[in-house]
Amino acid sequence: MNVALRRAAYLRRSSAMLGLLALSMLTAWSVMQPVRAAESKALPALELLQKMQHAARTLDYSGVYTYQQGNSVMSTRIVHVVDGTGERERISLLDGQPREYLRHNDTALCLLPEHKLVLKEKRDSERFPAVLFDEGDRLPAHYEIALSNSMERVAGRSCRVLTLEPKDSLRYGYRFCADTESGLPLRAQTVAPEGVLIQIVFNTLEVGSKVAPEALAPSWNTKDWREVEVSVEEVDLASEGWRIPLPPGYHALKQVARQMRADRRVKQLVASDGLATISVFIEAYAESGNQPREFGPMRKGAVNFYRKRIGDHWLTVLGEVPADTVRDLAHRTEYVPLAVP
Amino acid sequence: MQATQQQEQEQKASLEASISAWIDGEADIRPEDLDTPYGRKVWDTYHLIGDVMRSEELAIKPSDFLYARISRAIDEEPAIVAPHVQPARRFARAGLSSLAVAAAVAAVAWVAMPYLTASEEAAFQAPVMAAQEAEGLYDYVAAHRDFTGVGPIRQVSFEVAGGDR
Repeated sequence: MNVALRRAAYLRRSSAMLGLLALSMLTAWSVMQPVRAAESKALPALELLQKMQHAARTLDYSGVYTYQQGNSVMSTRIVHVVDGTGERERISLLDGQPREYLRHNDTALCLLPEHKLVLKEKRDSERFPAVLFDEGDRLPAHYEIALSNSMERVAGRSCRVLTLEPKDSLRYGYRFCADTESGLPLRAQTVAPEGVLIQIVFNTLEVGSKVAPEALAPSWNTKDWREVEVSVEEVDLASEGWRIPLPPGYHALKQVARQMRADRRVKQLVASDGLATISVFIEAYAESGNQPREFGPMRKGAVNFYRKRIGDHWLTVLGEVPADTVRDLAHRTEYVPLAVP
Repeated sequence: MQATQQQEQEQKASLEASISAWIDGEADIRPEDLDTPYGRKVWDTYHLIGDVMRSEELAIKPSDFLYARISRAIDEEPAIVAPHVQPARRFARAGLSSLAVAAAVAAVAWVAMPYLTASEEAAFQAPVMAAQEAEGLYDYVAAHRDFTGVGPIRQVSFEVAGGDR
C-alpha cells in the first residue's frame, strides 16, 4: 500500500473518530454549563436545581411517573440510558391510547400503533425529569429559591424539598423534591396561589446499573410502519413585522412554522423564564375551515389562553402561567407589516 | 472552581488526543494517565471504533442496542492496568481498504440510529395532526407541549391527512 493511500485511510478513520468524540464532548460540555452558572451565584438551592437537570440528562434511570392535573391522571414509564452515543430514552404511556416515544439525542420517534405510524422529529427541548429550559441563571431574579432542611419520602426514596416562590404575579411557584442519592427530581409541582396545579411524581425509580439497556427496545416491531417526518421550520417573527414584548424574565426559546391539522399552518414562538413556558401562535385568519372561533380569555386545565384577532391573523397566547400573563402579552402584541418598497 | 472545571475540560480533550496517538503507536503510553475510569473508557471506546472499522463482519449486522450493551459491559469490566502497545497493529490498520472504512462508518451510523429502518418512504409530505376527541383549542395545547416538558406526551390521537378525513 502506498504512503498516500495509507495516509488517506488514517485521515478518514480519525475524522470519523473525531465526529464521535465531538458528539460525546458536546454532550459533556452542555451538561457542565449549568453547574458553572450556579457557582457564580453561590446559591446552594440553585445548585441543587441544576444538579437535578444534570442528573436527568446524564444518569441511567428507569421508572414510572404519574402526571396529575385536576381530575386527570396519566402514568408514564421512562427508561433513560446514556451510552457512548449519547442519550437514549424510551417513554411509554400506560393510560389511554398506547404510545411510545423513543429518543436518541435530538432525534425523537413517536410510535402510534393503531395507525402503524412513526412520527419522526428533531427535538432539543426538555422533558420531565429535566425541569429547566435554560441554564436557570435568571431564576433568582424572579423567584425566591429556598432549600428546605427537612427530608421527604417519595417512591421509597428520600428526597430534599426545594421551593421557588415567584417574586411577581407573572408566573406560578414550583416545588421540587430531589432524590438525595441521585439528584433526580422525584416530584415536581406547579403551585398556583390557590394550590397545587400540576404535579408529576415518580412512583418507582431505579438508578444506575439496575437499568437494563434492553428496556429501551420498543414494544412493537415498526419495520412495516409508515414513517412520517414532522417538520418544523425556523422563522423570525420580528422580521415579519411581529412585535411580541415578552413579560419580564421570559426569553424566546424558539420560533417555528409548523403544521397544525391538515390544512392549517401556524407560527409558534416558545418563551420561558427557565421554568414557566408560554407559546404564542400566529396564523392567517380564515373565514371558513376548522379554525377555532373562540376568543378572549379561556382556561383548559392548568393552561390559560388568550385569543384575539389582529388584522388578518389569529393570535393565540397560552401557557401554564397566570391568566393575566397571557392576556397582557396578547394585548401588547402588535403587527407592523414592513413596507413593501 | 470554575477554573478547575475549565482545566478538567482541557485535560480531557488532551487526554483524548494522547490516547488516540497511543493507539496509533505515535507516542509512548503514559499508563498513569490512562489508569483513570475516563481514560480506560476512552481507550476501550477507541479500540472498539477501530475494531468495527476493520472488521466487515462487525460492520454488517450489529443487533439493536449493541452499543448500549457494550458500553455497559465496559463499565462493569474490572480495571485494566497499563495495556501494552502492539506495534503490529499499525500495519494491520494501514491495510484497511477505503471501502471497508466507508462500510464501517455507515455501520456506526446505523448503530447510532437503530430505529430508522428502511420503512416505506412517506411519499406524502404529511400534515399529521388532528385531535379527534378535542375541540380545536386542544391542538394548541398539544403543540405547546411538544416543546415544553411539563405534561404527558402526545396524548391526542393522530390522523394522517388524506386517510380518514
